Amino acid sequence: MIVLEGVSKRYENQDALKDVSLRIEKGEMAFVTGPSGAGKTTLFKLLYLAEAPDEGLISIAGFNTASLDDSTIPMLRRNIGVVFQDFKLLNNNTVFDNIALALRIRRVMEREIKEKVTAVLKLVGLRHKADAYPLTLSGGEQQRITIARAIVGEPTVMLADEPTGNLDIENEEGIMKIFKLINNKGTTILIASHNRRLFDNTGRRVFYLDGGQLVKAEVR
Amino acid sequence: MFSLRMALNSIFREIWLNVISMLSIGAVLFILFSVVIAVYNVEKLTATLPEKLSVMVFLREDTRRDEARALESAIKSENIVKSVNFISKEKALQDMKGFFKNEKFALSGLGENPLFDTIDVRLKGAGSSAKGVNAFIEKLKGMSAVDDVEYGGALVESVYSLKNGLRVFGLTTGSIFALSVIFICYSTVRVLFYRHEEEIEIYKLLGATKGFIRSPFFIEGSIIGIMGGAIGMCFFLAISRYVFGKLFTEFPLFSMIYVPDRSFYILPVMGFVLGLGGAVIALGRLKY
Ligand SMILES: Nc1ncnc2c1ncn2[C@@H]1O[C@H](COP(=O)(O)OP(=O)(O)OP(=O)(O)O)[C@@H](O)[C@H]1O
Ligand SMILES: [Mg+2]
Repeated sequence: MIVLEGVSKRYENQDALKDVSLRIEKGEMAFVTGPSGAGKTTLFKLLYLAEAPDEGLISIAGFNTASLDDSTIPMLRRNIGVVFQDFKLLNNNTVFDNIALALRIRRVMEREIKEKVTAVLKLVGLRHKADAYPLTLSGGEQQRITIARAIVGEPTVMLADEPTGNLDIENEEGIMKIFKLINNKGTTILIASHNRRLFDNTGRRVFYLDGGQLVKAEVR
Repeated sequence: MFSLRMALNSIFREIWLNVISMLSIGAVLFILFSVVIAVYNVEKLTATLPEKLSVMVFLREDTRRDEARALESAIKSENIVKSVNFISKEKALQDMKGFFKNEKFALSGLGENPLFDTIDVRLKGAGSSAKGVNAFIEKLKGMSAVDDVEYGGALVESVYSLKNGLRVFGLTTGSIFALSVIFICYSTVRVLFYRHEEEIEIYKLLGATKGFIRSPFFIEGSIIGIMGGAIGMCFFLAISRYVFGKLFTEFPLFSMIYVPDRSFYILPVMGFVLGLGGAVIALGRLKY
């Protein structure tokens, strides 16, 4: 489902990723970890095509990213639900509209949008915040809105970058439950996190990045 | 539907910028329309000018009646000629007598008929140029039976050159004004686009197509154009009602100005086309 072969990405004079090869199977839930600046976010940016690799091949959800043009990139992105590390919420739109946006760009009917958005808001426990604006929410709440937006479109692949960074343990467990639920429905999930609690004793594969290099991959 | 809502949202969020753009477009379209109306009126007034002037062809005294008739039909067969009317000198005298019938003494000195046979030629209005008319006159003068030709040629020529000048003027100013409407919409949409850059980035990351991202701006450009056109139309209606109204009573000449019925509905349509054009140019090189 996600394949990287000898992928490198250089920023100015610094290697953000260096010769990374990995493979994540369809329906798998896997983790990427490593110290700050290791290249986790960069890896994700390559996967959702915000950046192009300097070397190597990337394939995701059946698309070879190098061969995509302007009209197929949106189609690929609709298949990938991304929880951005910096949220990327629209601050002058309500919580409802932020989540609905993921469906509106697909030209889904408003009635269906209302149903689906309400359902995911309930799932992340923020139904009462539908009409609030992101900046009036706590960091953890904004994070959960971002997660809700990523899952509302029922993507085949989910990329979650530090999805529990602002959450307490209780909320963290709630979010991980949601990820497991989605994963059980068949969605391939890749989660980047420093937080060992997320993957310790899960029996899931964990990829260790350091200084842009893949240093270890193991089942925890 | 959502695109429309986004467009309206964006317009209201930057309401002053948009109102100023609409007003400028209104003003420009108003001027543009006035120029068009002016040119149109001159065209209309002068279109029938050659028709109104008659060409009097005076025949030589010794011209026989059958020669005159032949000449008449020869002239009639010219492309430029609308109608011909042969007036014999007897008829002319009779007319003259009728005209002066209360002042018989005015004609008492006339012995033999001193008048000439003449042919009164009327020209077609449409499709005739000053050059064509002049060539025709020269041709008439060259005919053996023709003594002289009388025609208000100088007047026609100056009117024609005025008309040509006005056409060129109307065309240039018209294009400049149309371009400036496009430019106003172009820069407005550009500004709005950059104001929304961050949002657009997010739209793209969520998988929005180019069309989805662009359509609110196209709608916005069109709305600005249509509103501008509507404002221009209101200017025009207000001015034609109050200003022309006054001018009509003070200078009757102005009442000859003719505005084709409902033609000002063209303004919002023009605004729409030009506004959309501006928006299309503004987003022409949207990258992914
Ligand atoms: N746009 C950029 N321009 C220049 N350098 C960049 C850019 N983005 C990332 N980098 C550099 O690339 C390296 C990897 O960054 P990345 O964001 O992938 O790290 P990360 O593993 O996500 O870190 P964190 O855990 O703090 O989120 C860092 O050293 C960073 O400074
Ligand atoms: Mg990161």
